[in-house]
Amino acid sequence: MKKHPALIIPAVVLGLVLIAIGIVYWVEPARSLPGFFPGQAAHSSTHHLKHGIAAFLLGLACLAFAWFQTGGDKVKPQAQ
Amino acid sequence: MILSSLITYPQAIVLGLLQGVTELFPVSSLGHAVILPSLLGWNIHQNDTYFLSFLVATHLATAIVLLLFFWRDWVRIVKGLGRSLRDRGIAPDDADAKLAWLLIVGTIPAGILGIALEDKLRHVFASPKSASFFLILNGFMLFGAELLRRRAPVHEEGGDPDARIAGEMGWKGATGVGSAQAVALIPGFSRSGASMAGGLLVGLSNEDAARYAFLLATPIIGAAALLKLPDLAGTSGNGVRGQALVASLCAAATAYLSVRFLMRFFETNRLTPFAVYCVAAGTACLIYFLS
Repeated sequence: MKKHPALIIPAVVLGLVLIAIGIVYWVEPARSLPGFFPGQAAHSSTHHLKHGIAAFLLGLACLAFAWFQTGGDKVKPQAQ
Repeated sequence: MILSSLITYPQAIVLGLLQGVTELFPVSSLGHAVILPSLLGWNIHQNDTYFLSFLVATHLATAIVLLLFFWRDWVRIVKGLGRSLRDRGIAPDDADAKLAWLLIVGTIPAGILGIALEDKLRHVFASPKSASFFLILNGFMLFGAELLRRRAPVHEEGGDPDARIAGEMGWKGATGVGSAQAVALIPGFSRSGASMAGGLLVGLSNEDAARYAFLLATPIIGAAALLKLPDLAGTSGNGVRGQALVASLCAAATAYLSVRFLMRFFETNRLTPFAVYCVAAGTACLIYFLS
């Protein structure tokens, strides 16, 4: 797989932001979410657990992508 | 409301047996869960909270059976994942690592689409008529996949199926197959059918497409069930926990027999019989519900 070192920092930043968003969804009820968050509702005490899981998993995926970009261009075959 | 009358034990046994079969056969478990109670005149509706809680147990049982059936494969896949993380890359001959990341790449869109759309689609399309209609479309989807498939690679007897899947499927294909599972949120469309159809379209054989579909289904079904398990433990599980336990045992038994049968069936057969069943059963049910 071709490596893109220039994407490492943006992927890490995006990953951390998404994980933070996931935690916010888990901790804050819908009424306390920032207005631009999907699922924000003025009088709702519901916690958007699923939104949080989705954001958290996407964040992990971004961090995994960044981790792979830090490796060398080619990984040695197992047989060697 | 009399809680003990929500789902009777005979109904739980039938629904459990049905769930174990239809979750893995490419014929839509959700569609059958909507259609069958209506056909038999049972007062059970797909969107009732107690029924959703009841289904959680059967889904969890199915996921556990799949996990145990492919246990050795999962151990190899997880080890491959660990190797790739350690090496910060996938070795060209490491099929287990490639398969691990194909499954992850396929699971992410399926999970996100499921989280975003499940409740909406379930409420919009949870009638027996629409489930029958979409069951017909599921049949055509399976027919179409067999017609449009790329020529399946000829492989030597006894070769490593995971190596074949890892060699044939790319990242775009994995994303596409994973996303295709979202169609199963509509009662009548099959998750395993969508995955198998997608696998055929990217060039897998029927056997490898079925194997990949079952591997891909395990984390999704298991995670969805675990996510909703608190509902079964909470108030919405009142009156159905015993029935859910019985149904989950039945589902586990038929899921095991189903996956064992299907892995042998697809060594030499195609999706066509299931396509015929979906079109015929969907048409018959649609006519019945419209009349």
